[in-house]
Amino acid sequence: MTRAKCSDLQTQELTEYWLGELDEAHEQRIDEHLFACAACSARLGALVDLGAAIRRTFVEGWLSIVLPEQFLRRIIDAGFQVREYHLPAGGSVNCTITPDDDFVVSYLRAPLQGVKRLDVLIDDTTSGKHRATDVAFDPAAGGLVTMTSTAYVKSLKQSQQRVRLVAVDGVEERVVADYTFNHYPS
Amino acid sequence: MFSVATASPYAFRVTLEASDVDDDVALAQRIIGCAPERRDAAAEAELCRRLGPRIRLYGIKHLRSEAAAADLMQDVLILLLDKLREGAVREPSQVVSFVLGTARQTVIDWRRSGARRTRLLEKFPIDLLPSESSDDGPEPIDAQRLRGCLGALPERERAVLVMTFYDDRPADAVAAELGLSAGNVRVIRHRGLERLRGCMAAEEGAA
Repeated sequence: MTRAKCSDLQTQELTEYWLGELDEAHEQRIDEHLFACAACSARLGALVDLGAAIRRTFVEGWLSIVLPEQFLRRIIDAGFQVREYHLPAGGSVNCTITPDDDFVVSYLRAPLQGVKRLDVLIDDTTSGKHRATDVAFDPAAGGLVTMTSTAYVKSLKQSQQRVRLVAVDGVEERVVADYTFNHYPS
Repeated sequence: MFSVATASPYAFRVTLEASDVDDDVALAQRIIGCAPERRDAAAEAELCRRLGPRIRLYGIKHLRSEAAAADLMQDVLILLLDKLREGAVREPSQVVSFVLGTARQTVIDWRRSGARRTRLLEKFPIDLLPSESSDDGPEPIDAQRLRGCLGALPERERAVLVMTFYDDRPADAVAAELGLSAGNVRVIRHRGLERLRGCMAAEEGAA
């Protein structure tokens, strides 16, 4: 039997093990090592706890994040209440949130074919200006799905948020689309 | 080869990390030494405290259920104590192999039969069994600090970590939803975890 040495079990391998990415023989070797090595077992336990904490932070609505539409579908299928706004390029919307909403998402339609890097610029009358650089997106999706922190939106009074999508190619930037959200408390 | 007197289906041997296992073996020897006239309750409790978290993690990994993992931990520890008291484990040095073999076979049995538990609890007090969260485990994660550190991550890393740990998805599944390669997702995930850990440690140091 090949012995999995303690120094070999670093974060990356433990993560791949935990997520079921290793072949069966490799996984069994790590199973055996973990039962014999309290240090590696504790390290895996810490990784599992961190993953659970990330999940909890997300589910409790503390994160603003850009996510693919398929992922949002899974959240809806899981039973979360998701308030959705659909905006064409250049669109604006009056929006709100209720105590029952778990998430608020915006579908921002935009032509993204050929875009290599996409940044999101936010100008918020409450929190100021922000720039999210190099967001994850699928050029073929025809737009972007953004999720705004539920905790933040629930704390808002009447406010306005302007969102701009910018395509970046080297030092050149090109505005892809603008959107306006007029928020009113429920 | 397994070290249980009865015929065993587990034909493997765990190679032990000596520094961690010596204590397990010493505890097993104490339990065997006392049986059957009397119990060494302190040794039994300590052995359960040491091995319980490892069994629980194995259970969560392979059963993807906290409740099932807790059941697995109980059943394996009870069977271990039973065998140690009966003197059925001939070589205390193989106690960890016995635990892994039992856990592995129990998971296989549960999957095969759909049944989750074969109870021996009537024979043993359950106060020996460690709670699901070990007392000497790591410090609980500071939720507020984590929110700040997640918020400070680059967008792609935050998205990949959330998509991964929302329901423990492998890289190829996350990659398919993002239009990236699995290798690229692994790199982003690894960087994100390292950056997140670094941020949490720095915040902790500054506190």
